[in-house]
Amino acid sequence: MALVKAKKNTTTPSEPGPAADPAANPSTGPHTGLTDADPAARRQAARALAQSPAPGAVPALAGRLVVEDDPGVREAILTALVRIGTGEAAAALLPLLDREDAGLRNAVLESVQQMPAAAAAPAVLPLLDHPDSDLRIFAVQLLGAMSHPERLGWLSGVVERDAHVNVCLAAAEALAETGDPAALPSLERLALRFPGDPMVGFSVDAARRRFQGG
Amino acid sequence: MESFSDDSDAGLPPADYAILCDFLRERTGLSFTEAKRYFVDRRVAARMAAVGARDIRDYMNLLRFQASGEELQRLVNVMTVNETYFFREKYQFDCLVNAALDEVVRGRPPGSRVRIWSAGCSTGEEAYSIAIMLLEHWRRVDDFEIELHASDIDSTVLERAQAGIYEERSLQGLPAHLRAKYFQKVGSAPDRWQIMEELRDSIEFSRVNITDPQQVRAFRGIDVIFCRNLLIYFDDIGRREAASMFHDALAPNGFVCLGHSESMSRMSSLFVPRRFPDAILYQKPAGGTAP
Repeated sequence: MALVKAKKNTTTPSEPGPAADPAANPSTGPHTGLTDADPAARRQAARALAQSPAPGAVPALAGRLVVEDDPGVREAILTALVRIGTGEAAAALLPLLDREDAGLRNAVLESVQQMPAAAAAPAVLPLLDHPDSDLRIFAVQLLGAMSHPERLGWLSGVVERDAHVNVCLAAAEALAETGDPAALPSLERLALRFPGDPMVGFSVDAARRRFQGG
Repeated sequence: MESFSDDSDAGLPPADYAILCDFLRERTGLSFTEAKRYFVDRRVAARMAAVGARDIRDYMNLLRFQASGEELQRLVNVMTVNETYFFREKYQFDCLVNAALDEVVRGRPPGSRVRIWSAGCSTGEEAYSIAIMLLEHWRRVDDFEIELHASDIDSTVLERAQAGIYEERSLQGLPAHLRAKYFQKVGSAPDRWQIMEELRDSIEFSRVNITDPQQVRAFRGIDVIFCRNLLIYFDDIGRREAASMFHDALAPNGFVCLGHSESMSRMSSLFVPRRFPDAILYQKPAGGTAP
């Protein structure tokens, strides 16, 4: 026994046969493959849609993601949506941020952050006006992680206007991480808006030190 | 410490060169003598310029303290340039033969297949190192049929891997008795050695882009994947796709071994880190779900 040459053209029991590849089967399409009983076929379908996004691909992927319980398929769908990387793809993921499933929420945050900022930002910005402060915090985290020329203005707008201190703190933290001293006037005004809040004072002090290179 | 002088031919001052070489040897096992000064100076200068390091002190601080270890890896890669070496980061091979494989085969009947894949194998040193480690150090090597797969996207390096001819530099980490046992000199060349035919024939080499689903579909039921120092060259989405491919390719409870500066947790949530005495590997949970 010991070292043996791999068998050519053979498959293990776990390997799906050729019919499991939806892109290779003319009787089915990738959309159909997303509902296949075999998780391997669903993963293949998601990847096929990422490689050649057909009309309706994004809603099909997002629709499957909502009900998918196989982690490998879920990851393949999220990765496909990141690879598609359009505003439509970002907008399809954002509603999942209010799900109970923390793992899914985190995966959505990570996925939207990996999309091109120019495509994702317009989908994220409306969330800054959402009545749920938790969703506004998610929006701030997403915008703070984006490499976008308007990031500073968006985050400054939050610290100047948002009524919820936790949303403002999230934006203050994101502004501090930009390292851009232009954010300081907004942060100073934040300290005046919440004069009795020690966390605000701490955050603004930390940002001040950071901008001054301390 | 000093910076490179304006005269780029001058290179690093001797004391700094020695500090850098000691550091590299300690962290990577790579050994650079004074004879390699020109080679090292040029590459360090290029990396310092690439990261905007003010001087060698600044650059050494980056190498020592960067949490991700990416710059050390980049420096190592330009130092090795498709010229990996036998038993590189050997502690990971120790982990394979001392712990991981015993766990992989637990409950399997003798005669079963065990599949190991060297993904991004370059010129083959990793795959052959695995083969030698198995034959020399895994006590159950004769109980199972072991398939070794090796792939790379670069067909040129694959041809060299299949030829199995190496120069002294690639073999520097290999004990003399293993060189004598598994290699023979090539003609009259003073420092060219070819790995024995039996080992060359035991490895299935193939050209594969690990982010291409169609190409990776040929790999299923793999027990251990070695993918070291390759994914650092991918962007976030590429890493994520590769991790997803590996998840598909692995058998339940199979392992991924990444380079020492790489972390699966920054690429994918599908794997569970497993700390063994020799190394950390990333495991595909039996149910497919990371807790």
